[in-house]
Amino acid sequence: MLFFSYFKEIVGREVVVELKNDLAIRGTLRSVDQYLNIKLENTRVVDQDKYPHMMSVRNCFIRGSVVRYVQLPPDGVDIELLHDATRREARGG
Amino acid sequence: MAIGLRHFAERTGSGVGRPVLDDSDGEELMHVQEGVSIVLGSRPAESHGTIYITSRQVIWLSDLDSNKGYAVDFFSISLHAVSRDPLAYPSPCIYAQIDIEEDECEEDESEGLESEFDTGPLELSKIKEMRLVPSDPSQLDRLFEVFCECAELNPEPVDDEEDHDWVFSADQMEADGLEEEDSAWNLSGNHTDCIGHSNGHHDLAQTVLQLEINDKRFEDAEETERDNNGHQ
Repeated sequence: MLFFSYFKEIVGREVVVELKNDLAIRGTLRSVDQYLNIKLENTRVVDQDKYPHMMSVRNCFIRGSVVRYVQLPPDGVDIELLHDATRREARGG
Repeated sequence: MAIGLRHFAERTGSGVGRPVLDDSDGEELMHVQEGVSIVLGSRPAESHGTIYITSRQVIWLSDLDSNKGYAVDFFSISLHAVSRDPLAYPSPCIYAQIDIEEDECEEDESEGLESEFDTGPLELSKIKEMRLVPSDPSQLDRLFEVFCECAELNPEPVDDEEDHDWVFSADQMEADGLEEEDSAWNLSGNHTDCIGHSNGHHDLAQTVLQLEINDKRFEDAEETERDNNGHQ
């Protein structure tokens, strides 16, 4: 639940979602749910030559289970806060 | 696991009919959209169909051929989106990527096929992209929302069973290992261990088997047994 809470805080920011099939999509995070399904707006495919079909897409829904990484806006991460939260989560609190 | 697209021909009712759903397992029809063409991979569009979005899967049935239909589980849809750019596809559509089990050896071959306009034999399990083109483009946003809702109804299953499989095969390996050691020569030591670990019929059977093996050897293995006891 930690990352769900975290991602909710950066709704509206720009992220890059990298899928397990190597497709990387840049876009504005519109919403996220408890399964870490992600909705993006104003999307751009990072490697357009490789995935020409995705060029036409402006908003999309990505299944949480196919996400490999989410690249965050550097100033969107409070590292201290995230450290504390992960420690609490690890202790089961 | 992800099985991708499949044929769907189970229909009920008169005329072209409706898809047969798994009511007993709680599958519900969420949305029906008539007048939808389907495009699989880079194959030509197949028109005159109706899509049925259920709580579990997307089914496209041909209005003309009652044997023709396709289905894909929400589990297998990695991504879906509204595509409106005429450069990417001439008509506005729902674009979906389908997660398939990649076969490493055949991957190159299938990608080669996809780069051309593909009219070869249809291999549904290799289709990675699907477009649903409604004749009424004003329905696209509604369809997108229904796709989202239904995708959220299908989170990844918790892999309980897989875990059991692991434990079970690990036990089995351990038991097999012991048996092998036993037949080599090690007797009473492992024997006690085995009883100590035993839980359930499987282990019990193994233990009995080992007992029998041990009995046979017991008669002419006095020295070995003494050796073993010495080590304990």
